[in-house]
Amino acid sequence: MQEELASSLSKKLLEVGIEGKVSNLEPLTGGASKEIWKFEVSNAKQTTKMILRRGSGIEGPLAIKTADEARIQKEVIKAGAPVPIILAVSKNEEELGDSYIMHFVEGETIARKILRDKEYKKALPLLAYQCGEAIAKVHNVDIDNFSFLPKKPAEDQLEDLYATYQSFEQPSPVFEYAYLWLKEQDFSNFQESLVHGDFRLGNIIVNGEGLQSIIDWELAHIGNPLQDLGWVCGNSWRFGKNDKVVGGFGELEDLLEGYNSISKLKVNKEMVKCWQVFGTFRWGVICLIQAYAHLNRTINSIEKAAIGRRVSETEIDIVDLLFLGGE
Amino acid sequence: MIFDRPTSSELIKAVMDFLDTKIKDELPPHLAFKLRITNNVLGMVQREIDQGEQLSEEVIKVMSNIIKSDDLTTKELSNLIKNGDLDLSDEELKNLLILLSKNKIAVDNPNYSTYKKLIK
Repeated sequence: MQEELASSLSKKLLEVGIEGKVSNLEPLTGGASKEIWKFEVSNAKQTTKMILRRGSGIEGPLAIKTADEARIQKEVIKAGAPVPIILAVSKNEEELGDSYIMHFVEGETIARKILRDKEYKKALPLLAYQCGEAIAKVHNVDIDNFSFLPKKPAEDQLEDLYATYQSFEQPSPVFEYAYLWLKEQDFSNFQESLVHGDFRLGNIIVNGEGLQSIIDWELAHIGNPLQDLGWVCGNSWRFGKNDKVVGGFGELEDLLEGYNSISKLKVNKEMVKCWQVFGTFRWGVICLIQAYAHLNRTINSIEKAAIGRRVSETEIDIVDLLFLGGE
Repeated sequence: MIFDRPTSSELIKAVMDFLDTKIKDELPPHLAFKLRITNNVLGMVQREIDQGEQLSEEVIKVMSNIIKSDDLTTKELSNLIKNGDLDLSDEELKNLLILLSKNKIAVDNPNYSTYKKLIK
């Protein structure tokens, strides 16, 4: 199987003028629904490390086409946002399937390693500011280039999430309460932007100097830029370090300082709070989607089964934010 | 129960220990990651067997102060909230939702940061 994959890869690379022998194919632990392969391409001149990111055909209902992720990365890199360089894109009907090949960026994605290992100790205090700057560059890009992306205003997303939650017929008193609370919030004061949709540790590459790349664009859409800021500040993405509001590594002040140094929209702390609740509810529903993909036998996976029991993490975060101050 | 020891909880513990001591180090990284998840799942099952009944009963007892009918379920509580039958600013309701969330996470993931913070 690996030989077949290597041969498809070299064919695809040849199409874009990259010649060489594909070797050292290695599957990486990536997102729950994408295949990720690291490999090397060597010719007389050099050896280059690359990544193949490929859709499995069983992505959740929120995900965009894998090839469209590549289109986004090609655009945002022009705006100065740190993303890996795209080398080749393959459509669903091609041999490689819905996928793309990009440069391998040295660094770490695994949150627990980034938060724990000595190597990243100096990078952590810089990371919130860098993340603010980088995501502001993403939010600043002209959305006319992204007509292929779905538009998802907060109100529509909330209704979609609620309908999805209801479809599983697993009632949650906390989700019912959160939905009613969120419906009362004002999400309107913003300019439509490109939203990453899953901006957090796990989807960024970090090295000893800090942020290197933003990856995993499968939940990208056009919507409210504050969604990305609220998401990275959700407790679900602090990996146990809940005193560091931003992703388990930084302070909200630093994130916003970096953000406001670039962004057209100036953001303050109060604007982020209801997006934390929104993000936590959204993550809860995504957990349900994943768990029911397993329960309905669309896919049989221990990860997806386990994630069903992470819904309760989002419930306790919601009651903490709504009733206990969330501090 | 008519079954002998090891109890279901003890059997699960034995499986977890086996995976952790004999299997973990034999696996390539991407499978070792899955094994960690497997062990977490077994831990949930063990805690549900050991404490599930008591944790549920605690919640149901408090529910009876808020739900007027005999239908003391999370489904009924969800319906009452959804249909506007409960005052959302009621402290008793808020405390019930806090207790429900705490008791669920006590089985699913007692190491979760928010839970640890709230039981301090």
